[in-house]
Amino acid sequence: MRWSTLIPLVLVLSSVPARATVLVPADLAELTRDAQAIVHGRVIAVESQWSEGRRRSIETLVTLQVEDHLKGQFGSEVTFRVPGGQLGPYRTIMPGAPVFGERDEVIVFLAWRGPSVPWLVGLGQGVYRVTTSADGMRHVRPGVPLSRTGIPQPVVRGAAGGALDLRAFETAVQTLASRGAR
Amino acid sequence: MIARLQLRRPCAVLCVLLIALAHASPAHAYLKFGVRVDSRMVDAKWSALPVRYFINDSPVPGVGPQQFREAVDRAFRTWQDVPGATVAFEFAGFTGAEPLDEDGANTLGFLSRPDLDRVLASTTFTFDSRSGTLLEADIFFNSDFPWSTAEGGEIDRYDVQSIALHETGHLLGLGHSALGETELRPGGGRRVIAAGAVMFPIAFSAGNIEGRTLQADDVAGVSDIYPTGSFRSDTGSIQGTIAKNGEGLFGAHVVAFNPRTGALVGNFALDDDGSFVIAGLTPGPYILRVEPLDDGDVESFFDRSDLDLEFAVTFHDRIVVVPRGGTSSRIGIAVRPR
Repeated sequence: MRWSTLIPLVLVLSSVPARATVLVPADLAELTRDAQAIVHGRVIAVESQWSEGRRRSIETLVTLQVEDHLKGQFGSEVTFRVPGGQLGPYRTIMPGAPVFGERDEVIVFLAWRGPSVPWLVGLGQGVYRVTTSADGMRHVRPGVPLSRTGIPQPVVRGAAGGALDLRAFETAVQTLASRGAR
Repeated sequence: MIARLQLRRPCAVLCVLLIALAHASPAHAYLKFGVRVDSRMVDAKWSALPVRYFINDSPVPGVGPQQFREAVDRAFRTWQDVPGATVAFEFAGFTGAEPLDEDGANTLGFLSRPDLDRVLASTTFTFDSRSGTLLEADIFFNSDFPWSTAEGGEIDRYDVQSIALHETGHLLGLGHSALGETELRPGGGRRVIAAGAVMFPIAFSAGNIEGRTLQADDVAGVSDIYPTGSFRSDTGSIQGTIAKNGEGLFGAHVVAFNPRTGALVGNFALDDDGSFVIAGLTPGPYILRVEPLDDGDVESFFDRSDLDLEFAVTFHDRIVVVPRGGTSSRIGIAVRPR
């Protein structure tokens, strides 16, 4: 929202500290650093299942046909898991967990431990959606601005572009990955 | 009802806002969880109260099961004490069962989930999608983070009570509020500049205990889902549609500002035709503003990502008056493509 120069001022003057819970936010540099693989691809399968191991919960396996690897190598297909899904009549929802459909085009930031199915770094923060505009240009959402200025940079609703050019985004990610690649 | 007072210039609106915001009070803005059953949306709402819950008996450094239970109880009581709502909780006992296990019991507790690496805590719901019946809700607290239940909080430790308060809002059926702003830090990550609701989804700081107090935003939300007999007759609502290029604009964030009380009030256009309703409003005049969600976390608000965010912030050009116990006449706001 961008009554922003007003609202924060008033809240500060009113001694109302900022607060929230749930997600520890990450910017693109952190996501890139924490991801073991970053993949651009298209969803070709979505399937819910009971989670493996002693825990009994519904999760969803999402399989991508890989178009490009921005960090790491995964072969031509990659499967990752997200919380929630539907099995028979039972539907489990974890607010904030992304939902995928077949043919979705995405860039995902993935991590894993040992021989496990990868997961999204930062849950929904580790997903960028690729869209094609009417003029055929491909963009990614969310259009997270990169903090390049060296000073705190407000995220302004309705001001910065809501989408980034796909190629520019990929270049930015690859640059970040090359700087901090593990 | 739409008053004839017309603000001709954006700066006039801003001046009004600036003056009024000097007396700003917390905002009402809330999103209700729902599940689609056939073609209808069913609210994630408990049909029977009190909500019975179990506490997992596993400790984490600095927080034992009893301390955890007491902190959670304080969060529950905070919601129970909302005068316009009728919620109630009941402790059912300690258990070895883990949260996120789908076992028919509502369980809260700590758990290590590497796949939820940047999630401090989360609530899951399980529905019977045939009937829309809410079967179970669990709240997990990520044991990979440092936690505290100290009365005054602890530096570098997250406050169980504050986060339980947010998660309990979810447990009751509240979604996230968009009344907050963030900034990118030069060293990485985002920080909240301002938040007008406990249900704002992102940012926090370890050691902060201010999130133990509900704001009017949250109060209105829970009252709307579990209203007392007089809540609806004491409040009013605004309804309308948001359009871009003549088509409905799903997901547009609509904020109502009451220049008399300073309250910010908001909700989203929740249908493809762009229709919105902002309920639980104190009767009086409101200025309406429509804006896209920011870069962030659209999927923290909606289970779809195809939101059109390419439009300019737009003010409705008239003051809208909300009647007590009623609804404004239907308002149409056309936003400009960016």
